[in-house]
Order: sequence, then C-alpha cells, then structure tokens
Amino acid sequence: MVNAKRKVMVSLLALLLLLPAAAFAAEPFVTTEWLEANLSKVTVLDVRKVEEYNEGHIPGSINVFYGVWGIKKGVLLNELPSDDDLKDILSAAGIEPTTHVVVVSKAETMPFRTDATRVAWTLRYAGVENVSVLSGGIEKWIADKKPLSKEAVKPKAKPYRGKFNKQFFANKAQVTGALGKAVIVDVRPPEFYKGEKKLDFVPATGRIKGAVNLPPALLYNADGTFKTKAEIEAAAKPVVGTDLDKEIIVYCDTGKVCTNWWLALHDLLGYRNVKVYDGSSMEWLADPAAPKEP
Amino acid sequence: MVKRPSNDLALCGECHQEIAANYRKSLHYTTIGQRNRVIKRMSKEEAKIFDEKVFEKSCRSCHASCGDCHVKSPAIAGVSLGLINKHKFVRRDEGKTCAFCHGGRVYPEYTGEYGGNADVHYQKGMMCMDCHTMDELHGDGKAYQLKEEVRDRPRCTDCHEPGREVKLTARVGHLKHAQNASCYACHSAGEYRQCFNCHGGHSEAKPGFYIGTSPRNRREITTLRIIPTVRDTFKPYGIRQANFDALPNYWDAPIHNIRKRTERTRNCDTCHEDRKGFLTMETLLKDSSRVNLELIKKPKPIPVSP
Repeated sequence: MVNAKRKVMVSLLALLLLLPAAAFAAEPFVTTEWLEANLSKVTVLDVRKVEEYNEGHIPGSINVFYGVWGIKKGVLLNELPSDDDLKDILSAAGIEPTTHVVVVSKAETMPFRTDATRVAWTLRYAGVENVSVLSGGIEKWIADKKPLSKEAVKPKAKPYRGKFNKQFFANKAQVTGALGKAVIVDVRPPEFYKGEKKLDFVPATGRIKGAVNLPPALLYNADGTFKTKAEIEAAAKPVVGTDLDKEIIVYCDTGKVCTNWWLALHDLLGYRNVKVYDGSSMEWLADPAAPKEP
Repeated sequence: MVKRPSNDLALCGECHQEIAANYRKSLHYTTIGQRNRVIKRMSKEEAKIFDEKVFEKSCRSCHASCGDCHVKSPAIAGVSLGLINKHKFVRRDEGKTCAFCHGGRVYPEYTGEYGGNADVHYQKGMMCMDCHTMDELHGDGKAYQLKEEVRDRPRCTDCHEPGREVKLTARVGHLKHAQNASCYACHSAGEYRQCFNCHGGHSEAKPGFYIGTSPRNRREITTLRIIPTVRDTFKPYGIRQANFDALPNYWDAPIHNIRKRTERTRNCDTCHEDRKGFLTMETLLKDSSRVNLELIKKPKPIPVSP
C-alpha cells in the first residue's frame, strides 16, 4: 500500500516536472517584438556568414554559419551532417536539448529564408525541443529599429546529449516505401512541380509520382515574414488533408526549402508524422528507375 | 587629382612609416614568389623574355597597393569588385580585404561555398587574421623570394599540440603519421578548387581532391593542387619552357576546409586499401611534367595480425 502511494506520488511529481516544458513548447515563427522581449530567455543563433555577423547582429546572439549545418555529400547539396559531427557543432555552440533556440538568417530571398528553417529543422532532428525562426529575418529586425551589436559572442561549449528525432528524416528507400500511402508534398514553385522548369543542378524535370504541390510562396509575405497561422492552415489543409496522424513527406530540390513547410506543418499546425526527404529532387530525379511524373 | 594615391607607398608611409617600409619588400607587394616559381621552367634567355613580357605586364601589374586591400578591390581578371566600405579606409574586413584576391582559392573553400564543407575554424567564427599575422601580410622587412621562406607562417600545431588528444585513436593516429602525412592530408574535408588546361591563360576550374607526395618534402603525403601550366602556356610570348619538366604540375597546398572528422579519419582503409583521392597514373594530367610521376604514392595495406 505504501509502495503504491509512493508510486503515485512519484508519477505525479514527474508529471509536474514535465508540465513547464510542455507549456513552453516554442512557437515556430516569432516576431521581432517577441524576440526583443524574450532575448534573455533564448539563445539566438545567427546563421549568416561570419563577416556579416561581425558587421552587426542581434545583441547576445551566437554565430554558426549555415554551411556547417547543411553540407555537401557526394553530389547532393544541403545534406545533414553525420550525427557525431552534428553533436560536435551543437556542443561547440553550447546548445542543449532544453535550450530555446531562435534561428536568424537573412530573409531577402527564398534560399536565405530557408537557411533558417533548415537549421531549425536540423536542431529539431538533433533533439532540441524548442526551436523558433525569426520571422522576416535580420532585415525585419533592422527595419524595426531594434538594437544591433558588433560584439561577437563566444559560446560556452557544453557536451550535447540530446536524443535524435530520426522520425523527422526520410531517405530514398523510405520515400519509395511510402508511395501511395503517405502524402508526398513537393515544395517547389508550380512550374517546377509541373515539370516545366528545373534548376541547373537538378538532373531532370518532373516530380515524385503522386506528389502534391505546396509552393513556398504560400508561407511568406512580401517582406519575408511568415503569414498568419490561419492563412498557412488555409493553404495547407486542402493539399495535405486534415488527418493529423497521416504520414507526410516534404521535399524540394535539395531538401532545404521544404523545411519551411516541415516547420509549418509539424510545429505550427500539429501534424504529427511529417518527414523531410533530404535527398529530394537531386537524388530522386537522378534515378531513372524512381517513379516520377509527368 | 591623383588617381591611385596609395600606389605611392611613400604617401602612406608618411603616417605608417614602418608598415610602408616593410610592405615595399613583402611578397604581397612584389609578387616575386610567382615569378620565382615559374621561372625554373625556363632557360636564362626565356626568363628574360618572361620578366619583360609576362611578369611586369601581368603578374607584377597586379601587386596589391595599400588601397587595394583597405579601400577598393583590385581588378582581378579584368573585374573590379568595387569599394570595400563606401569610400572609407577599412582596417580589416577579411571577407573583402582578403577574399577579393583569394576568392578563387582559399576563401570559398574556407566558408564551404566551393567544396561544400565549411572549415571548422570558420564554424567557430574565426577569420583570416585569427591565424595569419599582420607581419605576414605587410611583410617583416625581409625581401623573401618565396612564400616558403617565411618562417612564422601559421601551423596547425601552434594551437593543436600533438599528444593532447582526448581520444586514444586520435593520439595513435597522429603519432603514427606525424612524420609522413600533413594535417591536411587527413583533415581536408572535401573537394577544393582545381584548375585545368592553362593554354594561353585560359583555365577551367572544377572541384577536386588529390593526395600525393609533397614536391617539397618527399617523405610527406599531403593535399595537392593542380598548377595548370602546360607546355605551351607561354608560347604566345615565344617561351617554350626549355626546363618544363623541372617542376611538377601539382604543389602541396594547405587546404582551408579542415574538419575534425573526414572519410580518412573515420576509416584507415580509405587510404590504405581504397586509395581514395590519391593521385594515380590514370588521374594524372595528360602530357604534364614528367616529375609528376614522383608524386604518385601508393599507401601500403595495414598488416593484419595472424
């Protein structure tokens, strides 16, 4: 009897300890106002080039350049570093699984905007639970006349011991196995989805067979800020459906741009089973045997 | 109005006396290293022609004046990249001051924009001047003839003392290779710029990765970069390079894309069995210098204990 009571007490205590973390689940997209008000509570991760960071950054932010998080593997661009390298990067940056990280990049073009979302997804994959992206990037921060610093912050290294969320990642074999079962989302502009255009480094036009289209433009306002949750939801639901447990795999050309929709679907709208196909079109369309259309 | 005032070192020397005096003799200013390297391929008569028609009009004309680094980029291959910071003098802005000239090699490798893997030092926010010294750039007052004569160039071991590795495997690996492999040979993270087909100044650049014997230290395996001077590079000037085979077409190159882990640090077989990235007869530049053959290295398989 005493033992049973003790067990209940321990369970209740564990639940109480978990509650603050659950209550503090980070919003994936935060405004400059929110960030300014919460600067002391978060780690701001600036992923611009070192020189750009040195010229002026959000006070207190640390810098780890995008190219460290998304690397070239063989011919494929923007691939995940191996887990041990990723742990080293996080350790050197002093990021822990419980750290709330706000990722900041430039926002003037889609590739820069998605530097931030790709790093955010990588952090989530590595087991950092609270990750946000600054809506509108550093340009919005400057436009809003928020303070800038030229004082480089050297992070205090700590061994990273997070548990990796492997379910956020899909390889080619997993995508092949999911054909006809999962919702495969092509996150490229419609002309790429339709097979009318392609980028030079993508081996062929076309898309993964059965893929639906959710272009990146539907997520952003003209100034690079994110649209509202209601607007994003209205754009996503007709394409991916309303079943929050349905498996969804997003892809683009290299596996970078599609991370913006991963964040929106998984962390904003609550779809629970969303994966990024890291090899994306670069890998899929290079294989003549991989089912594609049109 | 003086068009390029900082071309006159004496003018800058009015305030920066020591720097200007040293700079006059520095390799950045004289560019003599470039001349002295290539001249060994030529006879004495050819060398005279080279000095007049090529070096003075080409290499030497591109020496860096004070303003080329601190105000405006020099014209590189006919392209001027403009002012560094409006029209203000910049003390240091390595992304521009250094990268304008070293933007073909070194800088894009360092940032990962070329070969795809950023250097671990860049990851940690380090820029050029965190390793390279002011004396190295401005000169120390000695008129060096080649870069390699400069003693106080940065070395990996300046910061990374061998024998202090946390992991036993790293300690053993470093000990085993200390005398016969450069740090880059194992820690260069990927492909770096290689230039081919230098006929009459035209060259095609592609990412590549080569390991072989260092032409400067035959006991050492290291990363090599293609120097695409071919037999008819200076033909338009009447130089046939009488001693073309005196120099190789690959030089040992300190590649700025260092990572702690690479294919070679992860697996000994990458070098000892697969010989991945090693220069071979098949990959050697066609019709290149005969001395290149001496740079081909075949690492032996690691003996297996019975």
